Amino acid sequence: MELVERLKKKFEVIGFKKQRKDLFIVETTKKDLIPMLFYLKEYEGFRTLTLISYVDWIEEGKFQLSYILWNSRTKDNIIVEFRLDREKPDFETIYRMWPQAEAYEREIHEMFGVNFEGNPTQHEELILEDWDDIPPMRRDFDTLKYSMERFGERESKSGINIRKEISEQYDEWRRK
Amino acid sequence: MSKEEVRLFIGPQHPGITGNMSIELLLKGDTITWAKTHIGYLHRAFEKLMERRIFIKSFPLVCRICVPEPDTNEENFARGLEELAGIEIPERAKWIRTLVLELSRLQMLIMWYGGIAGSMGLSTPVQWGIGDRDYILDLFEELTGARIYHIYIMPGGVRKDLPDGFEEKVLRAMDMIEKKLPEYDEIIMENAVVQKRLKGLAKIPKGWVEEMGITGPVARACGFPFDVRKDSPYEAYDQLDFDVITEEGCDVWSMLLVRRREIDLSIKLIRQIIDKMPKGEFLTRLPNVLYWKIPSGETYVKSESTRGEFGYYMVTDGSDKPRRVHVKGPSFIHGITLAERLLVGQNIADVAPILVALQICPPEMER
Amino acid sequence: MDKDKYFLNEKPGKLTYSGVFKRIDDWTRARSLWVVAYGTGCGAIEIRPTFTSRFDAERLGMRMAGTPRQADVIIISGYLTVKTLKRVIRVYEQMQSPKYVVALGACPINGGMYYDSYNAINKLDLYLPVDVWVTGCMPRPEAILAGFKRLQELIDSGRADGWKKYIENLDWYRENQKKIIKNWRMPNYNW
Repeated sequence: MELVERLKKKFEVIGFKKQRKDLFIVETTKKDLIPMLFYLKEYEGFRTLTLISYVDWIEEGKFQLSYILWNSRTKDNIIVEFRLDREKPDFETIYRMWPQAEAYEREIHEMFGVNFEGNPTQHEELILEDWDDIPPMRRDFDTLKYSMERFGERESKSGINIRKEISEQYDEWRRK
Repeated sequence: MSKEEVRLFIGPQHPGITGNMSIELLLKGDTITWAKTHIGYLHRAFEKLMERRIFIKSFPLVCRICVPEPDTNEENFARGLEELAGIEIPERAKWIRTLVLELSRLQMLIMWYGGIAGSMGLSTPVQWGIGDRDYILDLFEELTGARIYHIYIMPGGVRKDLPDGFEEKVLRAMDMIEKKLPEYDEIIMENAVVQKRLKGLAKIPKGWVEEMGITGPVARACGFPFDVRKDSPYEAYDQLDFDVITEEGCDVWSMLLVRRREIDLSIKLIRQIIDKMPKGEFLTRLPNVLYWKIPSGETYVKSESTRGEFGYYMVTDGSDKPRRVHVKGPSFIHGITLAERLLVGQNIADVAPILVALQICPPEMER
Repeated sequence: MDKDKYFLNEKPGKLTYSGVFKRIDDWTRARSLWVVAYGTGCGAIEIRPTFTSRFDAERLGMRMAGTPRQADVIIISGYLTVKTLKRVIRVYEQMQSPKYVVALGACPINGGMYYDSYNAINKLDLYLPVDVWVTGCMPRPEAILAGFKRLQELIDSGRADGWKKYIENLDWYRENQKKIIKNWRMPNYNW
């Protein structure tokens, strides 16, 4: 029986895709995610957590969390993902299943503002220092504006801002 | 922290640390009782900047994610874009990419081989390692025009064909390097101090490897044959003949042995690639890259770097910019999860060899 | 802890000698530059070839120094993030005068390719006095050597006085630094 059939029997599978011959993508719900990860780890042999990633779908008002697992015997990767409400991004930690999840979740908390309940170190700073704006990896954070305001911009001797000119010219030329 | 313990920071400004990062230690006597990694000193927000740039403009960014070995990043990013856009690349392009990847791996390994000796106070191999690495950097300069950041691999193939007589120059450089390696062995491997210090140092429990996601030479030093080149072959690695190198010791000495044998393997692979290199096109015709839009999709591409599995998680949404690119550097796990646990109970003098053996590269941890 | 024991909060006085002694001083200083071993950015990868056997900067009297207290030069190798800037200021202020700053690449000049990054600074000379700028991304070892040659010329002719300007305009530099480093948990200066 195929992996997807076995998963469908037990959990709610919203979407399934075989991207490559060794990469599956499964979309599930918030409720079923941790049981599915546990099932994949203990019963299907996906014993390694490679990465926890996150995507901001600002148009739909959702965050996406993606968990990438690896099976050392069949050499397959699987991406398990689900959508989280953007207004109230609360989720649970999985660091008891995989110790490296603690650091990944810490990064996501810092860069994205997702709250992982039960993670002991998520409030510690990992990458940024004394950050006081909204989490920077969210798509509504304007990094160019922030950089201009905070770090300034170098004026050339002639008073023309060369970089801005070039990028404006380039954008105009692209629009044509 | 009790009164007997001393809090000590190693780095970011410290000659023994592997880059711009810092490790906070609690010491009892000279034994480490607790360790914590601090990163973020090199965070340039690549992933955020890539979301603002069209695909082709991201290439100068991705190669800066890991400075000593930039080609892995370019190749991964290009391969991910090709997979999402459905582009097939010519056979010769695959082989040239494999050649560039192996050359890049070899230069990193040679520098590392000198570096681990340097972490124990043997400063001669450091000079040799960096000097001999320049044979390969000169080759890169001829091929791509730059020593470090090549931006040579691009979606659809590679930027230029191999110049005339390049193959012979590669083979000559390989001979030169191979001739010098016994001298390194004599001064590093046969050194009684090195053997005494590294054998049995920082033993990794075998159970940690799969559970923590340890990859690359560190996993292979624990007896796990994890090698992305073999497990899920990319580019031309499925047509090359090689075995995965493993050692059983789980300690720093085994990591040294694995990497020493990988230098030989890399030289062997480069000779094979030159031997089997097919003729033909090196670049497919792409649509105009300034207007290039990639249909929505998501993928995870990975490759084997000198430090372990390097992965790119990419999501596109049909526009001309990526929705999300997440770079998974092997050092993230090695440098934070593993190093914090591994350093506990070690001697303070052994911190530098352990960090070099795990080959922690800070820019790929924080991107 | 008695902080005043460790940190001297007064500014240093002016050099009291001049003329031929200063000339001898400059001449010797230019020929013995020790560089603090701090790879602040990606340019650090080309500093190692510069200082080892192939390009051999040691023949020009330059070498690496492990601690800032023994160093004369700090190389800002490329971009600087806010978190590193704080450490760089600390390292720079621990170095003994006279001290010089060499900046590599386009990033410290105007942000370079990180012009829109929220974590990389755009103008280094707002925060530290830069003596020599070296162009290129990353600068080749030859370019770094040429930059150091220029620095030696400047020192020899007594014109590399960034450190004096830093002392004179400390308030201005401090104001700029505190603008982007929000929690200033450092001694105000330890000369």
